[in-house]
Amino acid sequence: MQDRPHAAELAEAVREFIETEILPGIEDPRLRFRALVAANGLGILERELTIGPPLVRREVESLARLLGREGPIPDDVDGLRRWARDLNRELARRIRAGETPEGALAHLVATVADKLRIASPRYLTRYR
Amino acid sequence: MSGAEPSFAEALRPHLVPLFGNDIAVERLALLPGGASKEAWALDLRTPDGKRELLVRRAGGGVIHSQTLPLQSEYRVVAVAYEVGVRVPRPYGYLGEIAGRPAFVTERVAGETIGRRIVQHPELAGARAALPVQMAEELAKIHAIPAERVPFLSGGGARDVLVRLERELDALDEPHPAIELGLAWAAHNAPEHHETVVAHGDFRIGNLVVTEAGLAYVLDWEFAHLGDPAEDVAWPLVRAWRFGVDHLRLGGIGEVEPYLERYNALAGRDISARSLAYWEIVGNLKWAIGALTQSRRHLSGQQKSVELAVLGRLAAEMEFELLQLLERAG
Repeated sequence: MQDRPHAAELAEAVREFIETEILPGIEDPRLRFRALVAANGLGILERELTIGPPLVRREVESLARLLGREGPIPDDVDGLRRWARDLNRELARRIRAGETPEGALAHLVATVADKLRIASPRYLTRYR
Repeated sequence: MSGAEPSFAEALRPHLVPLFGNDIAVERLALLPGGASKEAWALDLRTPDGKRELLVRRAGGGVIHSQTLPLQSEYRVVAVAYEVGVRVPRPYGYLGEIAGRPAFVTERVAGETIGRRIVQHPELAGARAALPVQMAEELAKIHAIPAERVPFLSGGGARDVLVRLERELDALDEPHPAIELGLAWAAHNAPEHHETVVAHGDFRIGNLVVTEAGLAYVLDWEFAHLGDPAEDVAWPLVRAWRFGVDHLRLGGIGEVEPYLERYNALAGRDISARSLAYWEIVGNLKWAIGALTQSRRHLSGQQKSVELAVLGRLAAEMEFELLQLLERAG
């Protein structure tokens, strides 16, 4: 077990350093923009580390329902990620084959919204 | 002279002589911000006719996107557009390869290109009021360019676009069921009949030079192709190009109706709101797949860039918008 700071806390510390100590001193607009993007990337990482695991589980459960898969779902995050990838492949294949399962659109709206909760939460609030 | 790699400045001069004569001096040569795949150099050149403020556009180091025009063809399109009266910076000449990479030179123009500023800045309110009609007028002019003047352009209607998008999606080797759903909808609803015109390919806020008087110049012709005119007309509606002012469907600056009416009147076409809605969905597909593809340039090591890396995650924004539009389209 690693000592604190946890991974998300470490990402947060680096992001805050960029925002408060690096950004104010950057004159070059190109470099400034990339520094902002870098800080945003660390924000994504923080959110993925904190709220990622329950969202993957939710996605896998929804995919399994949609695709009619029965049986137990893995408990560990790595197992869940593998399932998510495999089930998404299956869903993508079915849609392309013209066999879109009933409820696919609602499932995808919820799942992509969950992706945005990590990647771009402010974007999501613009739809409310 | 400042800011340039000496080798480029030295290599550049002999290419300028055929255009501006022997009695020239490079007073300033500086790499400008922006431009992921191309370099833009500000060049101040002293000539016998006085000082000229020029822009040298030069290919970047990385391999370019599949549908991007080679720089020489891009120059041809800009030159033809200029001749037929489209507002483009005056083209001076194609320079050939400079230190291994092709370049061309145009007039350097002043004005705003940053999307966020164009949709927000108070001093550009008048420009925003003028832009919808001006954008329609420029597009009508572009779509009137005779295709035989640019015979190297290729492309086609919706089905050609969808075939290309599916190929690009497959190249990602990552499942994207939301995009698949959009592609399936777009294939099912593709218009059977269409007209093919010379299309700009990236006509939107961010690629237009805007002054307080409105649209001054149309830039970035590297995606010019032959396509359905509605593809170009709908592209600036895509939400990503509203730069946060989401309720103004035309590029965050105005309403669609005056723009579409003016375009149809000038171009003698009858593009419907329904057709725009179709191509707005295809536009979101294009940019979702485009963002994912761009992130691969970073991931493959072809062009290391934090900007490109993060773009891979931001593709979810386009996926979400796509799904909203699909829900509405039914």
